[in-house]
Amino acid sequence: MVTKQTEQTKIKKVLIANRGEIAVRIIRACRDLGIQTVAVYSDADRSSLHVRYADEAYHIGGPLPRESYLVIDKLIDAARKSGADAIHPGYGFLSEREEFSEAVTDAGIIFIGPPPHSIRVMGDKLAARETVKRAGVPVVPGTEMGLTDDELLAAAQHIGVPLLVKAAAGGGGKGIRLVRDLADVPGQLQIARQEAESAFGDGRVYLEKLVEGARHIEFQILADMHGNTIHLGERECSIQRRHQKLVEESPSSFMDPELRRLMGAMAVRAAKAVHFVNAGTIEFLVDKDKNFYFLEMNTRLQVEHPVTELVTGIDLVKEQIRIARGRRMGPTDSVLEPKGWAIECRINAEDPYQNFMPSTGTITTLNVPTGPGVRVDTGIYSGYEVTPYYDSLLAKLICWGEDRAEAILRMRRALDEFTIMGIKHNIPFHQNLMNSFSFLAGLFDTKFVEERFSMTTYEEPFEESDLETAAIAATLFAHRQRQLASQVVQRGTRDTSNWKWVGRWERMHR
Amino acid sequence: MKYLTTINDKTFEIDIQGDGTLLVNGEKREVDFRALGPAFYSIIMNHLSYELVIEERQEHQVEVFMQGRLYDAKVMDERAQLMAARTAMLMADSGEIAVKAPMPGLVVATPVPEGQPVKAGQTVIVLESMKMQNELKAPRDGTLHKVHVVPGQSVEQNKVLVTIT
Repeated sequence: MVTKQTEQTKIKKVLIANRGEIAVRIIRACRDLGIQTVAVYSDADRSSLHVRYADEAYHIGGPLPRESYLVIDKLIDAARKSGADAIHPGYGFLSEREEFSEAVTDAGIIFIGPPPHSIRVMGDKLAARETVKRAGVPVVPGTEMGLTDDELLAAAQHIGVPLLVKAAAGGGGKGIRLVRDLADVPGQLQIARQEAESAFGDGRVYLEKLVEGARHIEFQILADMHGNTIHLGERECSIQRRHQKLVEESPSSFMDPELRRLMGAMAVRAAKAVHFVNAGTIEFLVDKDKNFYFLEMNTRLQVEHPVTELVTGIDLVKEQIRIARGRRMGPTDSVLEPKGWAIECRINAEDPYQNFMPSTGTITTLNVPTGPGVRVDTGIYSGYEVTPYYDSLLAKLICWGEDRAEAILRMRRALDEFTIMGIKHNIPFHQNLMNSFSFLAGLFDTKFVEERFSMTTYEEPFEESDLETAAIAATLFAHRQRQLASQVVQRGTRDTSNWKWVGRWERMHR
Repeated sequence: MKYLTTINDKTFEIDIQGDGTLLVNGEKREVDFRALGPAFYSIIMNHLSYELVIEERQEHQVEVFMQGRLYDAKVMDERAQLMAARTAMLMADSGEIAVKAPMPGLVVATPVPEGQPVKAGQTVIVLESMKMQNELKAPRDGTLHKVHVVPGQSVEQNKVLVTIT
């Protein structure tokens, strides 16, 4: 089963099958390694940063992802034309599609990611669950795949409520139904099957115990083709809304050395169970008694990978490329003691005062925070247009400190410096979150933002003196604009023509 | 020139006189205000230093970003105040309100049929954009007069989706 592919391959040119901040991030790693880069872009991205930063750029179609970033043939075609010897998929889009990894490999191009087999098994939630369970990794109590309604009903009695009915092909929070009363199970099963059938074309469902008050804690995995598999510690991702992560940190304030050792060992075991190679993430649910359960594996680079980079000093994208080349990865041991503390805030084009409504438009002014311990990964610039075609991530603000308190203080300072004008964004949410007692104390679970956080509770009232200063500034600004405008108007309002006026003036000064 | 400037329901009377003297509600203020570049400004008042980003959003509406917070200011000179008072009287009871698309997107659902009463805050349109479903709500009580779109339709920004009377 295990085929050892240990010969080293050269990578001289990488095509990045993605856009936005992650494409820029990957280009930077390639530059550091002296590797040429190829960007691909849709009609909406001609002026995007990843296109401008890359050595070469290929247009691949319309603004909708299914017309461009999701079209395998166009990507492989661009790779062939440019002579790229490897493709990096980034996250989202085609990054976890087995057929893409296969098509790339079949075209004789290196896929910077895991082999198709790993993607396939981990992409099917039930298969993933069964595989890691067989390897001895704890999973949330639940049923196997392919059971009939009668079998599921019997199983529901054993698992107990509350429980979740989940679609085998679901993901991103879709295709999940909550049952709090055993009597509701038959009805919910029927609805879930219908939904799954229409949404994913796959009516298989399974049951899973709902772990209440759970935290979402994940482990970064690195594995090379020489049989080395390690973890780089955990990331705490419980601050989320509608299953979208908003803030991530490493380490987790909930972690202790013993739990890290235990969970890390299980994460490595889960990755090995699917013969995983390259960078991936094992997600766990952890209950308040520190029982942990395997949730799923993401077989790609994560959005929140920078927090791990800051507390380990490891450049994950460079390691991905090194591994894809067939070389031994740099780090050799799992990380049991992270250095300091890192927190990431996802800056999204969403208005926290309007129920996180997405915002589109042109960014008129951008001022990005800098200084000690501050990193910003972004694809935006002043003049950038936020379109409705892609996700709302504008930037990732990542702050590092000696400890959690310093990281939070730096984050507050950096959030205050971060200026994005022209569209609505969620920086005020992060500012308020960084002021909330629950966050400061590290007391939260995955339901915290949705159920126990509100923008009004932690918002500091405006100081009277600040209101006055802002009012003075606004008025002086308006006054200036008015004066400038009136000067322009006045030029034409002389009662005589300018030629006559100049003539008189010259005569006067003769 | 006298201005009435409102921020967060608080109104300041600001008088900028010909010699540059600045009065706030009749009291003199020493203000050093400098333009630093497009949108960037600096103010020093009583040795307190502030960096600001100031942009005009629409007529009389100015956004001020200062020390990590955004202030929405309404700046009205005397003439503008007069005009606004007059328009407000005309607008007072014009009946129809249009719910417009805040961004381009795909209409997912039109949950309220024409002719049905709606409450303020009730969802009247579900619009999908940026991979998210967004519920657009009625701004006030009334009757759903007309639905201008159908589910599955792509709409541009500012397209009128429903009207409420």
